[in-house]
Order: sequence, then structure tokens, then C-alpha cells
Amino acid sequence: MVTEGSGPAQGTVPSGTTKPIQQEERKDAPPARAPPKNDQPTGPGNTTPATAPAPTTKPAPNKPVARDNQGPSGEKKLSNAELKAKAKAEKQARRAQQKAAQQAPPASAGAPHAPQGHAGNEAKGGKHKQKSDASQPAASANSKAQSTKQPIVMAPTAKNTDHMADVPECFSHLSMAKRISITQADKDVHPAVLALGQKMGAFALTNSTDRLEATLLAFKQVIDSYTTPQGSTLSRHFTSHVLNPQVEYLSACRPMCFSMGNAVRWLKMQVSKIDIDLPEADAKKYLTEAIDNFLRERIHVADVVIVELAADLISPQGDLVVTFMHDPLVERALLHARLEQQKNFRVMIIDDPLEPTGRALVPRLSEKGIRVSYVPHLAALGTLLQEASLVFFGAESMFSNGAMYACAGTCDVALFANDLGVPVIGLCSTINFTERVAIDSQTYNEIDPDHHTADSFRLLFDTTPDKYITAVVTELGKTAPASVPVIMRKLEEL
Amino acid sequence: MAPVMNSTSEVEKYLKSLKGKSVDASIDSLISLFKRRQIAGSEPCAMATAHILLQVVAKTKFRDVDHMLETVRQVGCKLVAAQPKELVVANIVRRVLGLIRDEASEQRNEGTDDDASPEEPFPPAADAPEPSEAPSTKYDGSTDYLHSGPRHVRLGALMSVGSFPASKTLLSLLEASPPGHPSLSPLAKDSGTSTPRLGHQNARISAIRAEIIDGIEEIKDEISQVDDQIASSADVQIRPLDYVLVYQPSHTVQKFLLRAATKRRFTVVIAVDPRLASSPREVPGEVPFASFRKKLQAAGVASMNIMNIGQAAHMPRISKVVLSARCVLANGGVVTDAGAGHVARAAKEKGCPVIVLSGVYELSPESSMEEDELVEWGGAMGHAGFSDGLFVKGAQLQGAVTELIQPELVDSYITNLGIHSRNHLTTIVADHYKAEDVDFQLWGDAER
Repeated sequence: MVTEGSGPAQGTVPSGTTKPIQQEERKDAPPARAPPKNDQPTGPGNTTPATAPAPTTKPAPNKPVARDNQGPSGEKKLSNAELKAKAKAEKQARRAQQKAAQQAPPASAGAPHAPQGHAGNEAKGGKHKQKSDASQPAASANSKAQSTKQPIVMAPTAKNTDHMADVPECFSHLSMAKRISITQADKDVHPAVLALGQKMGAFALTNSTDRLEATLLAFKQVIDSYTTPQGSTLSRHFTSHVLNPQVEYLSACRPMCFSMGNAVRWLKMQVSKIDIDLPEADAKKYLTEAIDNFLRERIHVADVVIVELAADLISPQGDLVVTFMHDPLVERALLHARLEQQKNFRVMIIDDPLEPTGRALVPRLSEKGIRVSYVPHLAALGTLLQEASLVFFGAESMFSNGAMYACAGTCDVALFANDLGVPVIGLCSTINFTERVAIDSQTYNEIDPDHHTADSFRLLFDTTPDKYITAVVTELGKTAPASVPVIMRKLEEL
Repeated sequence: MAPVMNSTSEVEKYLKSLKGKSVDASIDSLISLFKRRQIAGSEPCAMATAHILLQVVAKTKFRDVDHMLETVRQVGCKLVAAQPKELVVANIVRRVLGLIRDEASEQRNEGTDDDASPEEPFPPAADAPEPSEAPSTKYDGSTDYLHSGPRHVRLGALMSVGSFPASKTLLSLLEASPPGHPSLSPLAKDSGTSTPRLGHQNARISAIRAEIIDGIEEIKDEISQVDDQIASSADVQIRPLDYVLVYQPSHTVQKFLLRAATKRRFTVVIAVDPRLASSPREVPGEVPFASFRKKLQAAGVASMNIMNIGQAAHMPRISKVVLSARCVLANGGVVTDAGAGHVARAAKEKGCPVIVLSGVYELSPESSMEEDELVEWGGAMGHAGFSDGLFVKGAQLQGAVTELIQPELVDSYITNLGIHSRNHLTTIVADHYKAEDVDFQLWGDAER
């Protein structure tokens, strides 16, 4: 997080379109990061990537809150006020930029219609620079806009240009989330997406399902505020000119998780399916309804089914259920088993001392009458797991070879559980499945920007081979991990 | 590493405080230091134990050897009871007991040599201990215990690493005694009756006392030299371009790698216990293992700190895992700092060799202990404060301080005697402890 700038964000990006935007940033980075912006006084309570200690402290308290709450709906409310301010600033910026564009040579006027190519991006980059410069006087008129904007404006500093410089060479193929200042973002990025990208970059939204839901809700806003330009039609224009910049921006902020990739692919398909002759209003209505249905079917209902199936696995009396860190699905399953099914069991929460997300789970479970033991570290697992009867993991994703992609440390716990013959259950909705194959944890992974310095290094995820997983609970039922590809095949047919 | 550092300085403080104190008082203060875990970690514990036993031997008035054995044993029991999880304490007590038995038997042999004892094939002059000799010449046995030549030949081998008991060759043992070291045990039991010349008793005791003090000094030397001796086998184990994973490297591991770094180019991956380095940003000046890494860098060896708790994610990259032991059991199980267990497990998963570094003094004759007896639980303070009432009320916190690595997860053991396989450990144990003392802890516990 301290090291910010441009870097490869491959890995989880579905469309191969991230490269151009990064190149663009890299190109205009030095001029855009010109010092004048740094002179501005910083608004209160604004954390910026440039100041080293702030980012670490900020996400930490934020995370549990974000998770505790109803999730995206609560966050959306929170962000709306911000959004308005940002939208205002954005409008002013756009206006200023239009002015600048009028003065600029006619070549840039053609840019909006240019395809997503290198040249187009360069043109955009140039414009984008003008915009950020021009927006300053405009923004200063509106103090509210200024306060929200400033911190991000002053973000880039010279030392941050080597974003991945400290990464050991053997991990240089992995990607890392980074903070992209709002001014650096593409001009076409919708304010809702802009805010979402900042949240993801700051790890205020970490869970893959939460990220997916928030993304789709933001895309709904994008669709709402979209108007088809003259002489074009939604199904032809929307994806390449409106949706792609959003996706690029999001994946530049933090590599997209597999579920987001799946959802974006799905959304593009929906757009392409729209009849050219369909009126714009109807097309938009169709799309927003489709998104609502998707959210309901693939996330909300799926979660309910998974929670129930998982809770069924707990036996009525005397189980010791082990879980690693906090996962919303696991929490719901445990509470469901306790409250709805009146089961009597104990829970052991194993946690990561660096990101003690499981801590907040302790009071929530214990106040419902579940006896909880808390293991702050992966120590003496061989001894601790001897009594365990079940291990629940919330999976970030499932690879099509049956390997489970989950937060780092999962594999270690699974190994010990497997040694002791304790069933290992992964909870994962099918939207998180990916057709990719990972043979080890370093094929796909993400570097933790919070703990990334010149001196230390941390991976966010690891991959548990299928042989250590007893069953995967999905909304389609409990299956062996080896049948993940079958499920995916089935989903394609649906 | 931090707690180890603390307790080493605590040991120094303790040793300084001993001057002018009575033996009983210093035993008591050591017991309380053990109980409060202010002296923790194998090396400090071993040092402190050796030192206090030295004081006991030096300052107590003994009637005879039996009395000495009994006194040392009782003190040992108290120490073990104060810190039962730290098996080195019992190890050192066992070795001192063995030392006393040896000396007693030698003394007695000397006494009976006039009767031309048949079990002593060598000229008595070579075998008789001379108090003026350098101590190292008397406890030379452990490295060449199979040597069947006369004693004066072995005097040349000054690799004094232990208090290997056999004052005689194996051959003579086999010749003279029924199984179970009976040539030694009866000595301890009836040494009083077997020494008819009571007038010599006092002189004899003080001679034995001097010998034993020398012997304990030697154990202390051994403890302090372990790191260097282990490090000497480093370049055999570490190959160029290796990725060596270490978990919370102790002094021993650090020395080992630094020695290897003088000859090899490899990469050190340091897995940092996140509890000790929970947020590098908050204390920007304090990077874990900064000085170690600086030294590595000076030697041209790259290193990186890994902040993950699980190491399975990094294993595909790693070619070797080096861990240091707090204690090694005779069956090959290793007691380590908490957190090393899953490193070893993850390494096994990827077929990556696990090397355990340990001094011979950390090798315990115990093998059939329950896992629960060896794992020390504690250190909850770092994870929960009473300000967080719901948490404290709601959960039982289970944080381990040490943990047991199962024998099958370890590929080789490096001690100051060299590199061993798991099966060889029992032989080394047999060389270093008397059969009578192996059960030390058991009957120590039974008494209280």
C-alpha cells in the first residue's frame, strides 16, 4: 500500500484489457504526480496512500465493521454522501476537461470513439492529465468537493513509482492491490465504481461474495446513468465504452476475484444478447432486472442453501467444529445450527494474529450459547485438533482441479485435520468457481499490500489440494472437490 | 527470539546474584525464576541448572557418594518440578548424576586396583584419575566410545563434548558385567560398604568432588560451544541456490546459516512469528531479525521475511527447512517453539527435507511422553486484554508456547556430534545417560 504506482494486475482479470491502462498510467505518471498537488492542505481524517502508517491503521478497524453489518446495503448508504460529493467533483472535472479538449488538437476529440487500443489510451492519458490539472481551480470553488478530493489527489509521490520493487523476484509474477488516486482513474469510470475501487484497494471489502455483490450493485448504477450516444445502440456500445473502463479500473485497484470475473463475463453476455432494436429504456430495465435476479439466485439464495447444508453436517450433540479466521458463510452456518436447529456444539476459532478477523466472531457466537475456544495462532495444531469433529473453511474460490483457494493458512490447518482424520468442509457458492487450475499456492495468489515492505512479505491466499478436502458445500449440494468441473459444466448448461 | 534473549540476560543476572548466597537460597531463587518462566528456552535453562548443581556439589558437605547422589537428585527434582516442560533441566541433572556415578566407580576401581581387579585390563596408572590433570582429559569418551585401545590413546582425543560415562572400553564392560550396566549400579548403591578404609572417606569425597566440578564445568562448556559445533556441518547441508526456510531462527540456526553463507550462495526465507512482529509499520525501526539479515546480506546471501502464519503457501519455493529444537526426544520427536509444527508439516507435504538443529544436551531419553505433557500453554496476554470483556468472557483462549513435531516429519538431526538419522538417536541417548537416571523424572514426580 505504501508502494503505489502501476504494476501488473493480471491473474484475476478476466478480460485482458488491464495492461493498456497500466501503461497509460506509467506513461503519464511522472507528469501527473507533479508536486503542485502535494502543497494542498490535507482534509481531516483522510488517509492517503502516501503517508505510511495511516493505511495500516485504517483498514483494520474498518474491516470488522464492514463484515458485521448487512454488507453492501449498509455500505452503500455510507458511501452515498461521499458519492454525491465525488460525483460533483467529477462533473466539474469533466466540464473543465471538455473545455480543455476544445482547446486541444482535434485528434483527442476522436478519442471517445476510438476502440480500446493503445493509441486511444494514450490520447485518454493526455486528456486525463489535463483534466486533473484543470479540475483544481474548479474544485476549489466548492469546499465540500475539495475536502473529499484532496487526499487522493496528493497521493502519488515519487518514491511510490516502483510499486512492485520490493517484491522478491520469485514472487514478481503475483499481483498486488494498490491505491489508485481518483484523479488517476480513467475519466469514464463511474463515481459509484470509483468509490468501490477505493474500498477494494483499501481492503474495506475483502470477502469475495461481498465484493461481487458490491460490484454488481455499482454496475447497476452505471447502467442507470448510461445514455446511448447518437447513432449507436446499447448492446454494441455499452460493453466496450462503458463497462470495460469500469472493469479495468476495478482490477487495477485490486485484482478482481474469480467471482467478479465470472459476473462480468455474465454481464457482458447479457448485454450482447440484447436486441439492437430494443429501446434503451427497456434494455436498461432488462439489464438491471437481470442483475437483481443474478444477485438473488447466485448469492442470496445460494448462501441460504449453503448455510443450511453446512449446518446439517453438524451432529446434534457434542461436536467440536473448527473454523479458520472469519467467513460470513461459516458464521451463518454455525448460528443456524445453534439457533434454528438447536444443536449443542463447541466451536474452535483458529486465527491469524496479523489479521485477527476471527476475534469478532467470538462474542457473536458465545452470546448465542456456543462454547468457543480461540486459538490465536497456528501453534500445536496437531494437539488442538485431536478432539475436532469437523473443520469448516470459507473458500474464496474453487479451482477446476478441485483445489480450494482460501485465505493463507487454510492449507496448514487442512493438513493437520487430514492427518487426524477430521473431515474438512469447504463452503463456496458456485459463482466463485473458476475453470482455472492451480497446482500450488503460487500459481494464482495476491500479495498483501498491508504487510508488504522492503523487509517483509505476505501472501493473501493459499491453495489446498483436493485430496485434503472431504467435501465442498455449494448451493447445488455437497460434492467431492473432484466434481467441481462437473458442476461448472452443469452451470454452463443452465 | 526476544524471550530467549531476555532469559539469557536473566541467567546472567541470576548467576551474578549467586555470589555470597547460600546454596539453598540460590536454589529457591532459580526455582522461582523457572516457575515464572523468566528463565526459559533450552540453553538458559540448561546453563542455570548446570550452574546450580555445581554450587550444590561444591558447597554441600557430603558424607559419601550416596549422599551426594541423593542431594543432587533431590535438587534436580525440585528444578524439574518447577519447569516440567523444559526437558533439558532433567537432562542436565541426569548427566550430573551420571558423572557422580562414574567418578565413584573410578574411585572405587582405584581402591580395588591393589587387588588386581580382573575387569581392568589396562595398567592402573593410565586409568587412575589425577586431580591435577586438565578436566578435558577425563571426559573424553563420547566421541570415541567404540575405541578399544588403552586409555592413554584416547587422552589425545580432546573433543570433550560430553560426560560419556564409560571409564572403560566397551570391551571391558562386556567382559566384566552382566547386562544393564551393573558394573556401575552396584557402586552407587553399596559404595559405602565397599570402601572399607573409612579414614580415606573424606579425602576420597573431596577428590570426587573436584572431579565432578570439573565435569560440570565441562558440561557448561559443551552447552556454550554447541552452536559453533553445529554450524560446522552447515556447508554440507546447504547447497548453492537453495531456498532455506527458517522459522523464528534461534542463535543456533542463525550461526548455522551464517556459516553456510561463507561458502554458499542461497536464499534464506525467514518465517516470522506474527505474534512477535504483528505490525511492522507500527514500529518502523524494528524489523524482525534485522541484524541477522544484515549479516546475511554482508555475506552475499539474500533473505526475506515472510509474515504469513501458514507456510504451506510458500513451500513450493522452498528446498529445505531448518528448525531449532528446544528438546529432542529419543524417538525423534522434537519440541520446538510454537508455530514450527505446521512448518514441518507443510514441508513434508511438499517433500521438502526438514533439518532439526539441537545440542546433545537437548536430547532427552524420554520418548513415550504424551503430547499434552510436552506442549506448554500460555502467553494469552498478548491476545486478549480484559478491556475486551465479551471476548474474555466468551472464549477459552488456547495459545501454545511450545509444540511437538512428530518424528516422521523430521528428516535429519544435526547435533554437536554430527548429523544423525532418527534411528541413531537412541544410541546417542544410551551414550550420554545412565540407565539408572533415565527414569529420573518419573521417580522424581512420584516422590512429591
